[in-house]
Amino acid sequence: MVKTLLKKQFAEIFRSYFYDTKKNRARSKAGTIAYIVLFVLLMAGMLGGTFGAMAFSLCSPLVEAGAGWLYFALMGAIAILLGLFGSVFSTYTGLYLAKDNDLLLSMPIPTGAIMLARLLGVYLMGLMYSAVVIVPAVVVYLITVPFSGAALLGCLVLILLLSVFVLTLSCLLGWVVAKISVKLKNKSMVTVLIALAFIALYYFCYFKAMNLIRELIANIAVYGPAIREKACGIYLFGSVGEGNWIGMAVCTAAVALIFGLMWKLLGRTFLSLATATGAAEKVKYTARREKQRSAASALLRKEFGRLSSSANYMLNCALSTLLLPILAAVLLVKGPAVVEALSSVFGGIGGAVTVLFATALCMAATMNDTAAPSVSLEGKNIWIPQSLPVEPWIVLRSKVLVQLILTLPGLLLAIVCCLLVLRPATAEAVPLAVLPLCFAVFFALLGVTLDLKRANLKWTNELAPIKQSFPVTVVLLGGWFLAAALAGVYLLLAPPFGAAAYLWCFAALMAAGSLALYLWLRRKGGTVFMEL
Amino acid sequence: MLRIEHLTKTFGEKLAVDDLSLHIAPGEIYGFIGHNGAGKTTTLRSAVGIQSFDAGEIFICGTSIKTDPLACKRQIAYIPDNPDLYEFMSGVKYLNFIADVFGVPAELRAARIADYAARFELTDDLGQPISAYSHGMKQKLAIISAWLHDPKLILMDEPFVGLDPKAAFLLKGMMRELCDRGGAIFFSTHVLEVAEKLCDKVAIIKQGRLIRSGTMEEVKGDDSLEEVFLELEAD
Repeated sequence: MVKTLLKKQFAEIFRSYFYDTKKNRARSKAGTIAYIVLFVLLMAGMLGGTFGAMAFSLCSPLVEAGAGWLYFALMGAIAILLGLFGSVFSTYTGLYLAKDNDLLLSMPIPTGAIMLARLLGVYLMGLMYSAVVIVPAVVVYLITVPFSGAALLGCLVLILLLSVFVLTLSCLLGWVVAKISVKLKNKSMVTVLIALAFIALYYFCYFKAMNLIRELIANIAVYGPAIREKACGIYLFGSVGEGNWIGMAVCTAAVALIFGLMWKLLGRTFLSLATATGAAEKVKYTARREKQRSAASALLRKEFGRLSSSANYMLNCALSTLLLPILAAVLLVKGPAVVEALSSVFGGIGGAVTVLFATALCMAATMNDTAAPSVSLEGKNIWIPQSLPVEPWIVLRSKVLVQLILTLPGLLLAIVCCLLVLRPATAEAVPLAVLPLCFAVFFALLGVTLDLKRANLKWTNELAPIKQSFPVTVVLLGGWFLAAALAGVYLLLAPPFGAAAYLWCFAALMAAGSLALYLWLRRKGGTVFMEL
Repeated sequence: MLRIEHLTKTFGEKLAVDDLSLHIAPGEIYGFIGHNGAGKTTTLRSAVGIQSFDAGEIFICGTSIKTDPLACKRQIAYIPDNPDLYEFMSGVKYLNFIADVFGVPAELRAARIADYAARFELTDDLGQPISAYSHGMKQKLAIISAWLHDPKLILMDEPFVGLDPKAAFLLKGMMRELCDRGGAIFFSTHVLEVAEKLCDKVAIIKQGRLIRSGTMEEVKGDDSLEEVFLELEAD
C-alpha cells in the first residue's frame, strides 16, 4: 500500500523530468538526464557553491581551535533555517490541500499511509534545501580533517537527522497554518502574512548569524568552552558531525522523539483538517450592478484574482512586489555607504559601481515570476479561455501584464532611489534606468513563453507548476545568472567603451530578446495556447 | 447554424473522429449519442474551436471555425462534460467575468443573472466561492454562464449529469425556449430517454464514424431509441 502511494507521490513530484506533457509521452533517457543534470547543477552550483565557500572560510579556523562541533552546529543551524524556508510553504498545501485527498481517503487506505506519502514530498523539499548547506559543509570538513570512519558516519547521521528535524518543524508549522486556516475566511492573506513574518525572522536570524559567526571565530577560545559548558545541546548536536557516539545517540533519540510526537499530532488531526471545507460561514449575496468591463480588463482581473487566491502563488512568485520598495528604502539609507565600499574595492575600474548597481536592480527586477507558472495554473480550467471569443494573445498578455504591474512600480522607485544615491552622469543614468526595465519586460515575456512550451495542466498540487516547474526554475535562476553575468563580464573585461555603452548594449540585447518573445507570443503563442 | 463537414481527427494512431458530417439547423435540438470514447467530446470540442482537427471543416452561422474562430465563438456557448470553473471566483464574479468577455451590457446582465439564478435557485449562493459549490451547483452555474450572452448555438457535453430533477426539467425548458427563438442546441448524452423525448434530431456515433442520423422518427422508426442504439452498437 505505502509502496504504491510512494510511487504515485514520486511520479507526481518528478513527473516533469520523465514526462513531456506537451507531447503527451515519456521523455527520452537523454532528455530526462539533461533535465536532472541541469537542476542539480543549478542547485548544487549556485546555492551549494555559496554555502561551500562559507564552509571553507569557517572550517579550518574552527577545527584548528578544536571546535569542529561548533562548525557543524553553525552549518547545521543554517541548514535547518534554509531547509525550513524551502519546505514550510509547501507543507500546508502538500499535506492538507492535495486535490486527490478525497479520492485517497475514500479508498481503503490507512490515513498513516496517505500522510507518509504526502510527507515524502515535504521531506524531499526540506532535504534538498538543507543538503545544499550541509553536504558542502560535510565535504569541506572531510577534506580538512584526517579521515576517520566515525567522522564519516557522524556526517551521514547529521545529514539524516537534519532532514528529519526540518521535516518535523515544517509539519508543525504547516499544522499551525492548517488549524488557523480552517477558521478564517481570507486564508491566503493570513498564510501570506504568517509566511512574511517567517521570512522576516529568517533574514533577521541570517544577518544576526553572520555577525555572530564573525564574533565567534574571532573569540573562539573564549566562546567555545563557554557554549560547550552552558549549552550542552548545541555541543552534542554539533559533535554528531565529528563522529561523537554520545552525540549521535542523544540527538538521534531526541529527533526520533519529536518526530514521533509530531506524527502522532498529525495523525490525530489529519482527517479533520484534510476534509475541512473551510466554508464555515456562508457569504451572503446581495445583487448589485456591476460595471461593464472590456474582455482584456476582465482577463486581467481574473489573473489578479488567481494570484490573490493562492498564498503559495503570492509567496513564491510575487514576493518582490514588497521587497522592491524595501530595497528602495534600503538604498536610500545604506546606499552612500555601499557606494563608498564598492568604490574602494572596484574604484580602479571606471563605471564599475554603476554596473554593480544596475546588476542589483536587474536581479531585483527578475525576482517576481508570476508569469512563469501562469499558463500551467489554468489547469483544468484551460477550456474557459480557449472557448471564449478572445484572441489567445490577449489571454497571454494579461499574464505578462500581471507580472509587470506588480514589478514596475517598485522597480521604478528603486531605480529613482538608486539614481539619487549614485548621482551618475546623464549618460550613465539613462541606461542604468532603462536596463532593469528591459530585464523586467524580458523575463515576464520569457516566463509565459516557457510555460507555453512546457505547460503542465495536469497537476494535483498547485505547487508543482508554482515551485517545481522548469519555467519557474529557468526564469528565476536565469534572471540571477544573467544579472551576475552583467557584472562579471564588466569586472573581468573592463571594456574600454565605458559603463554607459556597456549598459546600453545589455539593454539593447534585452530589448531585442523581448521583441522576439513578444512577436513569437503574438504570432505562434496563440496557436500553442489553443492546442494545450 | 452548425455545419460539420467531413471532420476527421486522430490522436497519435487512434482515429477519434472519422469523416463525420452533420448539419444542425436553427430551431433544432440535436442529440449526439454514442458509447464512451466514441468521439462525441472530440467532435464537440472541435466545433467550439478548442480542439484542432486534421481534416474537414466546421461552419458556425456560415463562418469557418478555422478561419475566423472569434466570430464563431461570439455566436456560441459551450458547457464541457465536467464543469471545471474558476474555483477562486465567487459565482457572481464568474458570471460577470463571462459577461464582460462577451460584452453583455451591465443592466442586461444583471437582469439575466437575477432571472436564471432564481430559476435554478442559486441566487443565495452567488456570493460563495465556486470552490464551495457542489457538482450540481457548478453545473447550474455553467448553464447560466452559457445562456448569459444569449448565444445562437449552445454545445453541451453531458449537460444533465449532476443536475437535480428540477434543474434538469428547467434546462430542458430553456433548451426548447432557445430553439423556439431560432437558436440551436447540439448536445451529447447517455440518457437515451431524455434524447428521445427532447431532441428533434439525433446522431449516433460509433468508433468515430457517424452510423445513423436524422429526425427521431427516421432514426428509431417504431422502436425505442435505446433498442436502436443497442442494436447499432452490437453490429
